[in-house]
Amino acid sequence: MTTGHAMIELHNVTKYHERERVLDNVSLVVDEGQMLGLVGPGGSGKTLLLKVLCGLVKPDSGSVLIDGVDITRISPVELSDVRKRIGMLFQNYALFDFLNVEDNIAFPLRRAGGMGEREILERVNELLERVNLPGINYQFPNELSGGMKKRVTFARAVIAKPPIIFYDDPTMGLDPVTSSKIFIMLEEFQRTQRTTSICITHDLLGARDICDEWAMIDEGRLVFRGDLSAVRASSDPFVTEFWDGAL
Amino acid sequence: MIGGRLLALMEQLGGMSVLAARMVWGLVTLRADRTEFWRNMYRVGVKSFPVVAVTAVLVGAITVIQTGQVVAEFGATSLVGWGTSFATLREIGPILIGLMFSGRVGANNTAELGTMVVTEQVDALRALAINPIDFLLAPRYLAIIIMMFMLTIIGNLMALLAAAGTAYVLLGVDMRLYYASFAELIELWDFFSGIIKAVGFGSAIALVSCYFGINTSGGAVGVGRAVNSAVVASAVSIFVLDFLLSAMLP
Amino acid sequence: MATEAAPAPQPTQGEETPLLHRFLEGVGGPFTFVGREIFELIRVFALTFFYLFYRPIRWREVVRQCYEMGYRSMFFIAVVMGFLGMIMVMQTGLQAQKMLGDLSMIGALFLQLLFRELGPTITAAMIAVRVGTGLAAEIGSMVVTEQVDALRMNDAEPVQYLIVPRVIACLFMTIVLTCIAMVISFASAMAGAYLMFDLNPRTFYNTDLLIWGDFITFAMKSLAYGIVIPVIGCHAGLAAFGGSEGVGMATTRAVVNASLGITFVDFALSAFGFVFIY
Repeated sequence: MTTGHAMIELHNVTKYHERERVLDNVSLVVDEGQMLGLVGPGGSGKTLLLKVLCGLVKPDSGSVLIDGVDITRISPVELSDVRKRIGMLFQNYALFDFLNVEDNIAFPLRRAGGMGEREILERVNELLERVNLPGINYQFPNELSGGMKKRVTFARAVIAKPPIIFYDDPTMGLDPVTSSKIFIMLEEFQRTQRTTSICITHDLLGARDICDEWAMIDEGRLVFRGDLSAVRASSDPFVTEFWDGAL
Repeated sequence: MIGGRLLALMEQLGGMSVLAARMVWGLVTLRADRTEFWRNMYRVGVKSFPVVAVTAVLVGAITVIQTGQVVAEFGATSLVGWGTSFATLREIGPILIGLMFSGRVGANNTAELGTMVVTEQVDALRALAINPIDFLLAPRYLAIIIMMFMLTIIGNLMALLAAAGTAYVLLGVDMRLYYASFAELIELWDFFSGIIKAVGFGSAIALVSCYFGINTSGGAVGVGRAVNSAVVASAVSIFVLDFLLSAMLP
Repeated sequence: MATEAAPAPQPTQGEETPLLHRFLEGVGGPFTFVGREIFELIRVFALTFFYLFYRPIRWREVVRQCYEMGYRSMFFIAVVMGFLGMIMVMQTGLQAQKMLGDLSMIGALFLQLLFRELGPTITAAMIAVRVGTGLAAEIGSMVVTEQVDALRMNDAEPVQYLIVPRVIACLFMTIVLTCIAMVISFASAMAGAYLMFDLNPRTFYNTDLLIWGDFITFAMKSLAYGIVIPVIGCHAGLAAFGGSEGVGMATTRAVVNASLGITFVDFALSAFGFVFIY
């Protein structure tokens, strides 16, 4: 499934917050086409790691490479170009509450330019069909339920067909039925588009069969990296306790 | 639309009266929490002093720059001391310190209370059989009023000194002449009426900020909206009260 | 270097900070804090100017903001300025009666003061309260719900996308609202003078004392306030972090800084006007 070409690389990334290390010498590589599950206790630095990968937060030391380009050393214009290839699904939806659903989903394409309005709308409707929410184009985010908002956010993240996608807890706070629907959606997308992605999740059972490999973070440090069989074979008590019941 | 607004206004005023009554009752029956009171006195005082001080000094200077000129145009430089001091003690001091205070303390108070409501801390208090009004609100109410009173006195003093200094620097008015016209024409009542206004403003600010804070709803967005409503309502109350009090106090 | 919000302070090397460091930190703390605030504000201000001239402006957003700001503040400002007019007339009238026995010049004096000070400054103070906190609340909420991050991810730099339209709108609306406010204030003052002192409105309406300098002062102040208020409000909003607590802090910061900003600008421009115009 993977080509062996490193798409996402973190090398010795450290980030301080008022003298405390919130990211401690993290090194991570994700190959093209892989889906990495990123798990760990609350507050361990997972969301921060994704933000560092997007260039929304600058690390205090270390380098971050997206498809070979070190994003900690490039200009804002070049960073914009890199970001055009990344789709991000935020933990709290981050839907623009001043735009309706259609404008929200179309936003990345309209900002990037270069696509006709009719084509944009076609794609929006296509995606709405795909996430099973046809016809809600003119509603506003505050009129939608949590599950609906998550699906709209997903649509917005993938509409520009980015080669890299970050999911920050796509099923947080959702009921089991909706959760499994979301994971099915992610899996189908991953399979058909061959994207490279990182998925933060607390739902180990639900995500277990979707992610190719796993990384675990605790208090800013990377404590495990490997696939499911490595998880099973691990003798680290932290790992076994965390995965207890989900294997 | 106006009808709807008027109804909302009435509802708010009603709610505030009820809250005021309950807070005062908490104070009168000594059920208000004493530790919270002193804690708030300290925080309110420390937080607002620098801002009030800076404002007072600048306002004193501005008052001289604007009114001193008017008095001078009428050839009455001997009245500069009186003119600016009168304006400061009676109107400008209480109003501007009030507005500043409403921003620094009122907004902060609403924000804090609002956050506590939204993060369910107030519910937690109720679940522990602690009356939020006695524990949270009444102490803040009293602390804000007392602090406003103290800060207005200090602020007025600083404004007057700044005014005197500016008069000397810009208009060449001799300090003694300034003081003479001040001492001769300013009555103790001018000072007191300003203080009474300050206490009035302080109660309004305290009541409004507590009311909007404790009635916050709607998460982070709700907190922002509550603070917004609180500062607007405080500002309006200051001016309306000023008008009423000016008319009532000769 | 990519510019992002909330820069983290750099840590010292060792784990223990020597006593001297901590003492200096304690004393210098407030100064560095104020210094950093002002520096951040200047940075946002400079960025706003840059985007104002070097990037396309979202005019539809500007119009929408104008409507929002005007609609939300008009009633409030009208009430305040109305009362202010009457208060001023009441106080100056009483004192003029006592001291000079002659009320004929109150109107002229009031008009002059209105242009130079009361009009622009009090209106601006009210706009700071209404619009300044509103902007901080709105943008602050967007920050804590990660909408601003989402904007950045889509190549919509927050200063250009959010702040520039609001600054333009506020600048325009400040001038418009100040003019309207001054008319209301003057009208209520005129009514007050008539009702309280039986002063003929035509005597009250006296433009003898107005000089061109007054108009210039009015224009300068309105313009300055119109820029200072939204920049401070938006900056406070952008610097928010940490959920509802952060939004509360941002709104408080906005109103305090905006009020202080207005006071400083008022002082600077009044002094400037005094020295150069009068």
